[in-house]
Amino acid sequence: MYKVLLCLRYLQTRWLAMVCIVSVMLGVATLIVVNSVMNGFSTKLRDRLHGLLSDIVIEAYDYDGFLDPKAKMAKIMADPYLAKNIEAMAPTLEIFAMLQYAYHDVPFTRSIRLIGIDPQSRAKVGGFTEFLTQPERKITPSFELTPEAKARQAKNHVLDRKPAYFQELPSDPSAPPPPDPPPSKPHEPQGLIIGHAIAHFRDRTQGSDGQVKDIRALEPGDDVIITTVSGQKMSPVVDRFAVADYFRSEMSEYDSMYVFVPLDHLQKLRTMEDRVTSILVRLKDFDEAPKVIKRLKEILKNEPVEVQTWEQKQGALLAAIRVEKGILNILLFMIIGVAGFGILAIFTMIVAEKTKDIGILKALGASRFGVMQIFLGYGLLLGLVGCLLGTAMGLAITHNINEIESIIGSITGQELFPRDIYYFDKIPTDVHPMGVFFVNIGAVLIAVLFSLIPAFRAASLNPVRALRYE
Amino acid sequence: MSNLVELPPRQIANSLEATPLQGVSQILKKKPVVSVVGLTKAYRKHVHSIPVLHGVNLEVENGEFISLVGQSGSGKSTLLHLIGLLDSIDSGSIHFEGQRIDNLATSVRDKIRNEAFGFVFQFYHLLPELTALENVLLPLMIAKGPLKWLFSRSKALAQAKALLDRVGLGHRMDHKPRELSGGEMQRTALARALISKPRLLLADEPTGNLDDESGAEVIRLLRTLNREEGLTILMVTHNLEITRDTDRIVRLSKGLVVDEEVQPEA
Repeated sequence: MYKVLLCLRYLQTRWLAMVCIVSVMLGVATLIVVNSVMNGFSTKLRDRLHGLLSDIVIEAYDYDGFLDPKAKMAKIMADPYLAKNIEAMAPTLEIFAMLQYAYHDVPFTRSIRLIGIDPQSRAKVGGFTEFLTQPERKITPSFELTPEAKARQAKNHVLDRKPAYFQELPSDPSAPPPPDPPPSKPHEPQGLIIGHAIAHFRDRTQGSDGQVKDIRALEPGDDVIITTVSGQKMSPVVDRFAVADYFRSEMSEYDSMYVFVPLDHLQKLRTMEDRVTSILVRLKDFDEAPKVIKRLKEILKNEPVEVQTWEQKQGALLAAIRVEKGILNILLFMIIGVAGFGILAIFTMIVAEKTKDIGILKALGASRFGVMQIFLGYGLLLGLVGCLLGTAMGLAITHNINEIESIIGSITGQELFPRDIYYFDKIPTDVHPMGVFFVNIGAVLIAVLFSLIPAFRAASLNPVRALRYE
Repeated sequence: MSNLVELPPRQIANSLEATPLQGVSQILKKKPVVSVVGLTKAYRKHVHSIPVLHGVNLEVENGEFISLVGQSGSGKSTLLHLIGLLDSIDSGSIHFEGQRIDNLATSVRDKIRNEAFGFVFQFYHLLPELTALENVLLPLMIAKGPLKWLFSRSKALAQAKALLDRVGLGHRMDHKPRELSGGEMQRTALARALISKPRLLLADEPTGNLDDESGAEVIRLLRTLNREEGLTILMVTHNLEITRDTDRIVRLSKGLVVDEEVQPEA
């Protein structure tokens, strides 16, 4: 009992102990905050990647794709095990392309990834409709222009006033001449869904509310010209589309690259009728993925396709995140290691200061182990208090990280979390209770381990020498 | 077998020389609590050995109040520490209540120190973080595990309070040592030494750091404890004045007992 009493009294009366507590606290808080933010990014990234790729991807080896996706899907669904486990499938056709549009009569050209989808089936595999910006399109996904978009389209073409650069586009002599529209019906371009970051500019000067503003360069109904390649000769093909909606996944890479167009239209444009580059498969239960993949590979063994889970497809990226997180954790644990050396130094001082007390305790019958327990208990107590405060601090910072970022940003004039890089509105955080638990266990262990040497030294003191210590 | 046969010849001679008849009768009457035979001790500093005790023989009888006197460096504090098992001997032996104790395992020595011995030091040696009451309770806390302590806490508290009352510090129980005077600290240390009902009280210069009045108060307390409760006390002191209240004066010089004087009973 005297050990607990002395531990508590030493904790209350030694200001040096506060230094140990603060160092453990800061280490624990830093680890919790950094891990939570990294988990937030990682979770968001995984959610987006998973959503966009669905559970399993049946993918062609090249951009020429594979033939007859419907027959393949029918073959897959004919298998009883797969039929039982597959929720939905969606064929897609993907190709790199160039996109042009005019903003205030100034032409802008971007490289994009052009994805042909059937909106209904794509919606069923997930990771699509939730990222569309128009509420009605989230319910009924389509490439149809809204009446307002149609009106804007009509207004843009009322005088058939094309921007000068459109006229300057070199015409491809090998391309088939576009069909003349019926005289009674004006040419209506296909709608497309464009990545948010393609259709908007980021205003780097912050608004009055401290938020970064997006300036829209393309309104719904505005024209875009897409140039891609067609046929085995890879001849350039050009078509005009109208913006129907925006795709905002908050993933910079996707929002600045993806443009969705109707699958059948892209197939025609590329002269790839009835060919797709991939089939996205959504499972009822992702835990069944290994078995489903095995079965799919058996069924499609003669087809020029690769079958992978979304994790296998993004393996390198996910592994990089894991490695980065692991290294960062090791580095950050060194902060607690530094705190451990602080404990070692301070405890050595405290043992020297308490030498006489150790002599008294031994004179009164305290055992070596008892004296050792006092200092080990003291280390444990410092670790526990430091961890408790550090956890509270870390969770508080994590919970209010956006407000703190905003305050620091307004003081320093430097944006700590540039939203034009990440395209997240807020810094994502995800607190893993087990992670917090392990950080705490690690910190307490370090505190106890570093108090071991001074505790052993205290236990080994000769009582007479300790009593005579000046 | 009588105690006389077991005593080292030198001590018998010393005793007889001092007060022949009275000394013999006392020795025959009382049983030795502590018996030290041929005790040697040297401190080592690097390769040098500094001998302190050269073969001390001493017996402390049950209920006796002994003053251990001598010049600085004569080895009296070292002898007290060795008897109190605070240090290890080089040769010889120490017996307590008939059992050799100098060669016991550390854990048993700790237990003896905690349960059978009480210590009072010149510089009080109270723990500064604890109150007077907590300091007094310390030996009992050391003796009992957390669970035992929980069950016996109220009894121990009552015992500690009664002791502090007895030494005149009932009103200073919650005071930290820094808030107490030297005399009060020494009386607290005395209460702490008595809490585990020791069979031997070892006092190392208990008045050495006190003014005359406080010193006299402490000696008065010791004398009362010795007379009323039969507590055996071995006290190291420089102050020959206070030795008058003790039963026997043992004089050490250069690591040897050179003289013993049995005091006439007051």
